[in-house]
Amino acid sequence: MESILADLEIATFAVDEVVEGTQTGWSDGRLTVSLPQLAVGAGESALAEATVEVVRPGDSVRISNVLDAVLPSVKADDAALTFPGVLGPASVTGASSFAMATSVAGAGRTHRFDGLAVLSTCDWLRAGYVGPEELPDSFVDMAGPGADRSPFGSTADVVIGYVPAEGAPVDEVDAAIRRETLRVSRELAATTLDVEPAHAATLPWPPTPADASLPAVVLMLQVASEGPLTDTFWQGEPLRELDPTEADPRAIIDGALTNGAYDWPAVRNVTAAYQGSALIRDLFAAHGQRLRFAGVIVAPGYLDSAEQKQRSAGAAAELAARLGADGVICTTFSSGNSHTDTMLTVQACEQRGIGTVALVCETNGGLTDHVPEANSLISTGNEDDLVEPWTPDRVIGGEGARSGEPVPTWAYLGACSQMGETTWTAVPA
Amino acid sequence: MDGGARMTIIHYLNQFFAGLGGEEAAGHEPVKLDGPRGPGRAFAAAGAAPDVTLACGDDHFAEHEPEVLATLLAWLEELRPHVLICGPSFGSGRYGYACGVLAREAGRRGVAVVAAMTPDSPGVMAAEGAAYIVPTGSSVASMKAVLPSMARLAARLAEGETLGGPEEEGYLPRGLRVMVRAEHTGARRAIDQLLDKLAGDVRTEVGSTGDRVPPVPAVSDLHTVRLALVTEAGCVPQGNPDRLPTRHANVWLRYSIADADSLGAGAYESVHAGFDTTAGNDDPNRLVPLDAARALERDGAFGVLHDSFYTTSGVDTPVATAAKFGQEIAAELREAKVGAVILTGT
Amino acid sequence: MFVTALPTIAQMVGANRILRGVSITHPTGDPDLSTGVEAALRRRIVERALEMLVTEVGPTTIWELQP
Repeated sequence: MESILADLEIATFAVDEVVEGTQTGWSDGRLTVSLPQLAVGAGESALAEATVEVVRPGDSVRISNVLDAVLPSVKADDAALTFPGVLGPASVTGASSFAMATSVAGAGRTHRFDGLAVLSTCDWLRAGYVGPEELPDSFVDMAGPGADRSPFGSTADVVIGYVPAEGAPVDEVDAAIRRETLRVSRELAATTLDVEPAHAATLPWPPTPADASLPAVVLMLQVASEGPLTDTFWQGEPLRELDPTEADPRAIIDGALTNGAYDWPAVRNVTAAYQGSALIRDLFAAHGQRLRFAGVIVAPGYLDSAEQKQRSAGAAAELAARLGADGVICTTFSSGNSHTDTMLTVQACEQRGIGTVALVCETNGGLTDHVPEANSLISTGNEDDLVEPWTPDRVIGGEGARSGEPVPTWAYLGACSQMGETTWTAVPA
Repeated sequence: MDGGARMTIIHYLNQFFAGLGGEEAAGHEPVKLDGPRGPGRAFAAAGAAPDVTLACGDDHFAEHEPEVLATLLAWLEELRPHVLICGPSFGSGRYGYACGVLAREAGRRGVAVVAAMTPDSPGVMAAEGAAYIVPTGSSVASMKAVLPSMARLAARLAEGETLGGPEEEGYLPRGLRVMVRAEHTGARRAIDQLLDKLAGDVRTEVGSTGDRVPPVPAVSDLHTVRLALVTEAGCVPQGNPDRLPTRHANVWLRYSIADADSLGAGAYESVHAGFDTTAGNDDPNRLVPLDAARALERDGAFGVLHDSFYTTSGVDTPVATAAKFGQEIAAELREAKVGAVILTGT
Repeated sequence: MFVTALPTIAQMVGANRILRGVSITHPTGDPDLSTGVEAALRRRIVERALEMLVTEVGPTTIWELQP
């Protein structure tokens, strides 16, 4: 794939301390945040209210109804290009926003924070948008026995609590929430724009020429987009009717892919998982040494019929073969029948002589689905594993929140990321 | 649990080990006996002497499971044990199953359970992870080695101790999967595992839990189908001319029934060591229903009865062996254009 | 299909067409019945087995002798 834009450079700035103050700014690891200055929610008619607070590891707080986690990020060359399609224009070239091979994201320099995440929360049930069974609990614990389940329990978090405006359509509320959360993420990272980074990682694409005897590895990234509150967005457009498509890995980690799916918090992907993407980073790092990084395919999960699932799996495998893959790593999105999409994709790849590894989260009932060809799996944990009861001093973002009761691991945001972001796994006992 | 108060330990045995009788007592109703019986007497040395022994006939348990469970669980409720010990049941299918089911139900009511059986025993699956199961060989020869292990685990559980992992403590993985931190992220492990696989070293962090085959589509035309009879009841010609083993069978056998209308009492017998063969020997059709099948064939209920029946004795048969037998027999049946099978089991 | 007095074990190992047998020691008979009645019972068992063979079933399905 030809690239028309400059290589991506990511400069990371540490946040060791977060304090509240009159002026938002960053200096030497200390981030000062002026909550009034952030003016969250202003000008968004679909929102009645937005409250902001900062929580830190060790605070006796459970954050409830967590929707998404975002790493503060800003495009240094032109901040307006941060999170294209949501905050700014989707394309410089006028190309269709579905062309995942070209994007304004993934080129030039990006400034990123390490040690801080922005979390969005919204009590959809209370606002009347979902039924009691529709969206499961979603927590981040900053202390207590569950603090280490969600990775966001170990970083400082700017937590935004959103209240929808009465009667506003759900997709407009959600769009406002996503816009504001990404905007705050950009504002915070923008405090580093006048600082020259000590170090920046350069991620060239296509990758530098490498020894042809090294195995070629393709990443098969599964996403799902099933409607409002269960969507995944490419440059602000929901990825419904997605066919397996080659995508620029730089664009994926630089804000082209954002999350709008709020079910099964431990096992579906938050925006921070696309931005952080340990798999993409590690494949870049290993390129030319242990493997050739041959590309990324974005593929759909939760297809409705067996026929559609088979067809898509076959198409994904065909594309991987065309990219010259010797091996494919398949990720999984969320719980349930998406695991069938993963397994069928594994099967289709193996039938074409492509070795596969898939990442899946287990349940107390074992694997959700399996095929004989899936002989090499990574377990990202057991989502039914129970964490002991804890009563935090405060619950923010909601009420009740299983305070004082055992909590199943599936309720912790990002705990069992099936993109392999965490070190959680499961072993026999 | 009050310190200083004596732990209550209950031991479950089948009819044989409780001293109530052999196979003929397999229909024995559940009983509650004082103190240790049979193998339970050896538990005292490790500080796990049973206060009460519950016993039940293996067949009775299997055939009256809900009522037997109700009785046994009521006794457990009354006695409030700290620990329940079941078995050792070694390779016995029915006894193992009873131990497993009781373990599961006791576990659901908060009782810690220790058992002992072969890894292949149906009791392992039936227990659904509720018991710490010490693995045994299939025969009682491993009794001496197993009893101290069982007793030690039971004594520690009775003290309220949390046990370590399966390998460390010497029990079978309970089918539970607990969360632990790996050294590296899933991403790093995925890349390492993929590169190893491409180099020929395949491994997995998790596997499928069952060997499941989807149901075969129904027979489309019964009137043309060739039907075969297969059994694991150890049914063989009188005298067992080909020496089918009574347990640990390493073979299956095939016998012609081409001109036979029935399996006559004098002509056939069962050599299966796992159940009381009296009724089966008095009328082998009670194990392999040849007489009824032949009559229905004559009446046109189905196409043709295959000219041989297949037999083995399903006692202490490892799962892998049984699967192999199944594949081999199926290959022959397919070759012979058999389209349907009635398999009988005990 | 599989005739057995222990249908729960059959389910656990994944047999799909399971017919509950009379007893562990005599799955397709009953010594407590008179000869004629027992013969009728055995005929009924095999008929039920044939019925199951021509029926589409889901995984690990257990049928009783009397539907």
